[in-house]
Amino acid sequence: MLKPRLSVWFIRGYATRIAEKPPARFPDPLNHSNVVIKTLKDENLTFIHRPPSTAPSPHSTTLAPASALLKSPTPSNKRAPMPPLLRPSAYNAVPSRMSDKDMEQLRKLRLSNPEKYSRAKLAKLFKCTPNFVSKVAALPRPQRKEFARKMEAEHETVREQWGEKKATFVAIKQKRREFW
Amino acid sequence: MGHVSKRLYSSASKLTVSTSQLKQFPPKEAILRPDSGKPNFFDPESWATLQPPPTSALTAFAHRIGLSNVLSSADVVRRACTHKSFVNLHAKYYPSSPTPPTNANLATLGNALMGLFASEHLHAAYPHLPTRVLKAAVSAHVGPLTCASVAQEMGAVPLLRWHRQPTTPMSPALLHSDALASIPRAITALVYQEISLQSARRFVQSFFLSRQVDLRSMIKFRDPKRALIETVEKFGHERPKSRLLKETGRYSNSPVFVVGIFSGQDKLGEGFGSSLKMAEYRAAEDSLHRLYLTRTPNHLLQVPSSTFPSKQGNIFKAGSEAPYTPGVLGEAEILYASSGRSNIVAPKRPTLEEIEARRERLDV
Repeated sequence: MLKPRLSVWFIRGYATRIAEKPPARFPDPLNHSNVVIKTLKDENLTFIHRPPSTAPSPHSTTLAPASALLKSPTPSNKRAPMPPLLRPSAYNAVPSRMSDKDMEQLRKLRLSNPEKYSRAKLAKLFKCTPNFVSKVAALPRPQRKEFARKMEAEHETVREQWGEKKATFVAIKQKRREFW
Repeated sequence: MGHVSKRLYSSASKLTVSTSQLKQFPPKEAILRPDSGKPNFFDPESWATLQPPPTSALTAFAHRIGLSNVLSSADVVRRACTHKSFVNLHAKYYPSSPTPPTNANLATLGNALMGLFASEHLHAAYPHLPTRVLKAAVSAHVGPLTCASVAQEMGAVPLLRWHRQPTTPMSPALLHSDALASIPRAITALVYQEISLQSARRFVQSFFLSRQVDLRSMIKFRDPKRALIETVEKFGHERPKSRLLKETGRYSNSPVFVVGIFSGQDKLGEGFGSSLKMAEYRAAEDSLHRLYLTRTPNHLLQVPSSTFPSKQGNIFKAGSEAPYTPGVLGEAEILYASSGRSNIVAPKRPTLEEIEARRERLDV
């Protein structure tokens, strides 16, 4: 079908090459840092060991332990490039140590009315984490059990409303978790 | 096949009686005279269970395991293979005969010795293993099931004399594996009695401690990240941080993530998984495995019981034993992942006010 060319300036005359995805190139998986190339002294032979990349084994001896805890820690070098941290929240600064006054206040508030002064609320108020509130201002065991029971009852009512498919998928996820 | 017929089949195949050892076959009690008025009480299965194994089999057993100098006579082997449950059965059918000697005392002594050898060997081999894993490893090496399978491998199954006991309100059921397990324990005690502690240790080493046991599969955690944080703090290193080493297919249906846990610049462990959380969990487990499974090489492995003298002599003077260098003592384990008193809730003690109130009530 021939369209009449009404305006010439709609046709582009530059950069008319159609974009192409470049061919996928994969680096040689055996060219990694564990390669050993050694020239043997006695004979005119070169020993080359290029093992495939596998998960490192945890087994080791006390003379050459695999765990870095059994060796002295390497001196910290802030300039050395490290892999990125796993989650964005890990880049937040560690909160400074809380004063004793603040801790007492936190404990008083939490133990007076745990429903009104929840962990999240107190964490925002005192600029700490909810886990810190749990550890520092732990509720007495019967109260904790009471809260757990109430929560479990609420969750149970929600779970009853699930359909068969949803229940199956959740069960599969839980089973997969056991194989971690 | 129902379980009753299966049981009958298996028990019939085990009850092989050598007739060459008997004075008379068929035995007197089996011969049924129809003209005499006496009722027939003979049960061939019970009779077969009560017959002792032939002397040739006992001697062959002693030579097969290489202990013919310890188990010098067939009577000693017979004693080692008789479980204490057999006594009641024997007394029921042969009340006038003397009770057969059993391996009860020998088995108890042997069990204690095997526990000693296994514990000291594993503690010397894996100095950083936590207590609960050490206990599990000792059970894996010299526990009742292992002893039963070693007895089967030795060929002691047709020599065992025992009597199955069902569960009673006072005691649990006696299983075949428990009765079988008493045999290697009794043999260990006999080696200790007849020769020396060192020989008993060599016996246990060759039959039990040389077995391959995969400790890695025995080590499980409820919360490996928390256990790792506490362990690293105990060692005085920097707080661990998880970093993503490699990933592929993040938005596909089969992603793979490789996460490493670092303490400062040092990598403590790495793990892979189909989600970030799974990879991090595995990395924490790998870090703890690398610490726990650090093994002493065999040429440096020395156990404390090697310092005991091998010959009789003056116990107040040093003998001619090999010099002993104690191994590395592992770092004391953390409370969280240990088998301490973490789950035990002690009863609440009365406060001072309550004690005083009680005292006032008594005075009034």
